[in-house]
Amino acid sequence: MDSFQNAPALPPRRRRNLRPLLAAILLSLAGSASAADEPPRFALSGFGTFGLTRSDKDNYRFHSSSTQPSTMPGQNFDPSTDSVLGVQGTARLSDKFDLTVQAVSRQAAGYDYTPHITWAYLHYRPTPTLSLRAGRTTTPFFMFSDSLNVNYATPWLRPPAEVYSLNPFSDLDGVDAIYRAPLGQMDLEIQGLVGQSAVLTRSASGRLRNARALRVGLAGTGFSAQAGYTRTDLHLNWTDGFHQALRRQLIAAGEADAADELSGTHASAEFFSAGFQWEKNNWITIAEFAKRKVDRYISTAHGWYLTVGHRIDAFTPYVTYANQNQDTPAFCTPVPAIHAPLVGIYNNSRNTAQHSLAFGTRWDVARRIALKGQIERITPAPQSRGLFPSDTLADYLRPTTPVHVLSLSVDFVF
Amino acid sequence: MSPMRLIRLLALAAALLPAAAQAEIVIVTSQRSGAIELSREQAEKLYLGRATTLIDGTPVKLVDLPNGATRDDFYLKLTNKNPAQIVAYRSRLVFNGRATPPIEADNVGEARQWLAETPNLIGYLERTDITSGMRVLLRLP
Repeated sequence: MDSFQNAPALPPRRRRNLRPLLAAILLSLAGSASAADEPPRFALSGFGTFGLTRSDKDNYRFHSSSTQPSTMPGQNFDPSTDSVLGVQGTARLSDKFDLTVQAVSRQAAGYDYTPHITWAYLHYRPTPTLSLRAGRTTTPFFMFSDSLNVNYATPWLRPPAEVYSLNPFSDLDGVDAIYRAPLGQMDLEIQGLVGQSAVLTRSASGRLRNARALRVGLAGTGFSAQAGYTRTDLHLNWTDGFHQALRRQLIAAGEADAADELSGTHASAEFFSAGFQWEKNNWITIAEFAKRKVDRYISTAHGWYLTVGHRIDAFTPYVTYANQNQDTPAFCTPVPAIHAPLVGIYNNSRNTAQHSLAFGTRWDVARRIALKGQIERITPAPQSRGLFPSDTLADYLRPTTPVHVLSLSVDFVF
Repeated sequence: MSPMRLIRLLALAAALLPAAAQAEIVIVTSQRSGAIELSREQAEKLYLGRATTLIDGTPVKLVDLPNGATRDDFYLKLTNKNPAQIVAYRSRLVFNGRATPPIEADNVGEARQWLAETPNLIGYLERTDITSGMRVLLRLP
């Protein structure tokens, strides 16, 4: 019906949509209030997930990130791991400038769902191949860093935690430049960033200062690949009980210098990641490697995963193998042997090494809505608890066992 | 027969034919745009957010039709992606700030009005929906 209700017989200038107030304000700011018959310059959109996660053992509560505080018994269905809601507005101020703000609500380390500003930047395109952005963008640590909360966009239920938990810093306050150029049949993208970041996890507060990053990406039909490198100063303050206990014990034994190596403001860190996505004849392959190298306070570790999926009508079943290894433990400063037991537990509580095999499927039930289910078998590394942190000393003295985790979610965009 | 009646009759005929979704789709721009040239490859790049300009560097904006058969048919023909794939692909680009999505018209009438009057705006329509203010850049039979 629409096609002839608005046929040219109507005087073109008569028809004018009532756009939201914000759009009107931005429009007048942009000095183009006369644009009645032009497309709107403001777009509002959003995304979200409602997910439930449980394991088969009460003392193994799954966390996909160190920012998640939940201490719910592992066998209870927990909505806090994957549930997220985000809203984003973009205003085109002119052909060369636009403004983007995104707010995301998901459970934070303080158990609250207070919306957090994840994007707030002014974007300037001086030439068609160059983009400059200033404000809050995201850290470039992983292939999917820039859309971590948008589960609808990916085939899997969540990005594999063995890689994506290696770095919990997600916001970057600073500036970046993106240069794009064709390279044969593909498009090359080079991005440089400088900025700083802060994060609160369940057991620490951290800051990145003077972070400098370089990312190179290549995209073609059905294929994309990227690699990134970041160098940064790291401030890290542990707040958990094991840290307090070890610190107290070291200071009481006159090892104050060693205690200062547990946490503080003098670490430097490097992050590297490389990955690719390839899609052909309804087969999807995604793989990524990432490494975190830190000189103190936290372990040096690396991880990788491989996902293969196959699209069959509305279903995309997939399988993922993922692995995280610790290269050096968090606390390596030599101390008298009497401290060894507590140092051992301290380091084990900071070792998230594990490997997992996951089977899952995406089901596109309706336009803009996907249901996903995943079952995974996670094997924490010996003497570590992998991504099942605990505050209880006894949990680190028991041998670890494989854990099965079931996750169900509905992802949507609007 | 008045042009309005003819349009109504054609629309009725189209609605009755199951092959309506297979109608020819054309990519158009306003007569007010400059001397725009558009290759199929560049059209695909634009609609997949991998380019924001024409090959000669002219910045362009894009229009999307509302959800429906024409839109699905267009993306399938141009990018070989089904509706769910397009939404998933697009959502990543939008929410990672890489690309602003095409501007979605509320209905075909609105898209026609925009496309006839706004310079450097590109959009797709069924061939039978184009008006005199537009120029066809590319045909997707």
